[in-house]
Amino acid sequence: MNANTAVMAAYGLKKAYGACLALDGVNMLVRRGDIYGLVGRNGAGKTTLMRLVTGQSEPTGGELELFGASGRDMRLQRRRTGVMIEIPSFSPFLTARENLEYYRLQRGIPGRQVVDEVLEQVDLKDTGKKKFKSFSLGMKQRLGLALALMNRPDLLILDEPINGLDPEGVVEFRQILRTLNQERQTTILMSSHILSELSSVATRYGFMEQGRILEEISAEALHDKCRTCLRLEVDDAARAAALLQTELGTDKFEVLPGNVVQLYDCLDDPKRASYALARNGVALLAMEQKGADLEAYFLNLIGGGRHA
Amino acid sequence: MLNYIRAEAYKLLCRPYTYITLAVMLALEGIFAEGFAFHNSHSSATPFGGAIVNIVGMGVIGFCMCMLTGDIVFAGQYKNSTLKNEVSFGLSRTRIYLGKLIAQTLLSLVYLVVMMAFFIGLCAICLPMEGPAGFYSSGDALFIVGYFLAAALPLWLGAQAAMCMCLFLTSGEMTSYFLYVGLVFVLETVVDVVGLLVGGGFGELLLNIRRHFPGFLMDATKSLVGDWGHMGKVWLVGAFWVAACTAIGLYGFHKKEIK
Repeated sequence: MNANTAVMAAYGLKKAYGACLALDGVNMLVRRGDIYGLVGRNGAGKTTLMRLVTGQSEPTGGELELFGASGRDMRLQRRRTGVMIEIPSFSPFLTARENLEYYRLQRGIPGRQVVDEVLEQVDLKDTGKKKFKSFSLGMKQRLGLALALMNRPDLLILDEPINGLDPEGVVEFRQILRTLNQERQTTILMSSHILSELSSVATRYGFMEQGRILEEISAEALHDKCRTCLRLEVDDAARAAALLQTELGTDKFEVLPGNVVQLYDCLDDPKRASYALARNGVALLAMEQKGADLEAYFLNLIGGGRHA
Repeated sequence: MLNYIRAEAYKLLCRPYTYITLAVMLALEGIFAEGFAFHNSHSSATPFGGAIVNIVGMGVIGFCMCMLTGDIVFAGQYKNSTLKNEVSFGLSRTRIYLGKLIAQTLLSLVYLVVMMAFFIGLCAICLPMEGPAGFYSSGDALFIVGYFLAAALPLWLGAQAAMCMCLFLTSGEMTSYFLYVGLVFVLETVVDVVGLLVGGGFGELLLNIRRHFPGFLMDATKSLVGDWGHMGKVWLVGAFWVAACTAIGLYGFHKKEIK
């Protein structure tokens, strides 16, 4: 399997609940090694999409592939996945260890030490005889992650995984994801409302709205699109570019059509650029600082100021 | 499948509910057996045989136990939304369904063996083996109980399959219990009443269908001890109920959205 091999792919995927179309022809591609951040508002179809991938419901149209398998063959490929969708669900009357041991036996995962390993990984090893029903939301999230990790999955599917985690837990969680992705080449498909968190780990994004993927973009491309810069509107862009090189000693700029120069330098002292241009007779018609974070980019993409 | 059943067994062993249910049933049996002993010490002289033949009248408890064992094994999977953990790992729905059914059946059999051994053992300890004329001898009573259990077993297994079907077809445990009660206890009476009201060929057909309900056959067994034709019939009917309920339950579960 090379680096570009599709781990999960959807082609025109549809899901209807009666007259309501939850997914309306989703096309997406998750490649091996991606940390794929699924971004969308409530009701955009993120969870529905994940439920289809995990076999909890069946699509009403289109095609879904998991590790190259589709249809009935896909079920066996699900054993290569680790899943945490919505609120982690376990038997309330069992402890963390008992719950995981139950699923270990059920899934035929060899070695009892696996349970201790994942409990240690998510920092739940010392919960003793405490039953799941007495766990805090953060502890439940950790146990959900432990179950998802127990079979050393090739694809990890996480829906709102940091809900309920305390700040320390969020940092640990982020570290776990990075380690899995870098050391085990685990592909991760995750959604989160906390876009700043998503942006700190994702390597690729899919923006969802009204049951459709509006855009898929790599983190690098998004970074470039969102990069903070000074947008200089001048009367002579070619001369301005030459002056930026000679006077400011920078080549971190782009010349755009319409006599616009985007400067990625001098962001902390924009006056330097304006003085340099003015001193040398280039008229600065307008200057503004531009840039966006993931949240702003998403809101701009869906065309409104509604919440993600 | 073995892994699945092993996991279910592990869960059952971890749950206090499993032990509490058995303890309550054994306590009730103990009270029942002690009732005979207490009565004997005052006025009566019920022997071992006279006490254990009462098992024959308790077939309906087996139907109720099916609800309990179904509940213990299913373990609030709707309420706790844990079915998604199994489906999303790629376990086939057929395996999940049959695994649960087998676990329920095995638990029922364990309960049956323990409860029967406890009650018969307690009666053997607390009551005289021989009694006055008019009571069954120990040998006759053991034969009657043995025949009854052998005839009741397939009907209980059919009821267990019906309980499993109800659990998988509905979207909540409570609904499934109502459906089960309706199917095993109420429907038979409804079919009987409608059959009598309608009359004619169709009425006769309904009355004939009614004769194949577990409850009806369980009642009939009491008066047909030693009838091996009846024994064959109950095993056939029990097998039909197991097969039909399992087929319907599996079909429904395959179509079901996991919430």
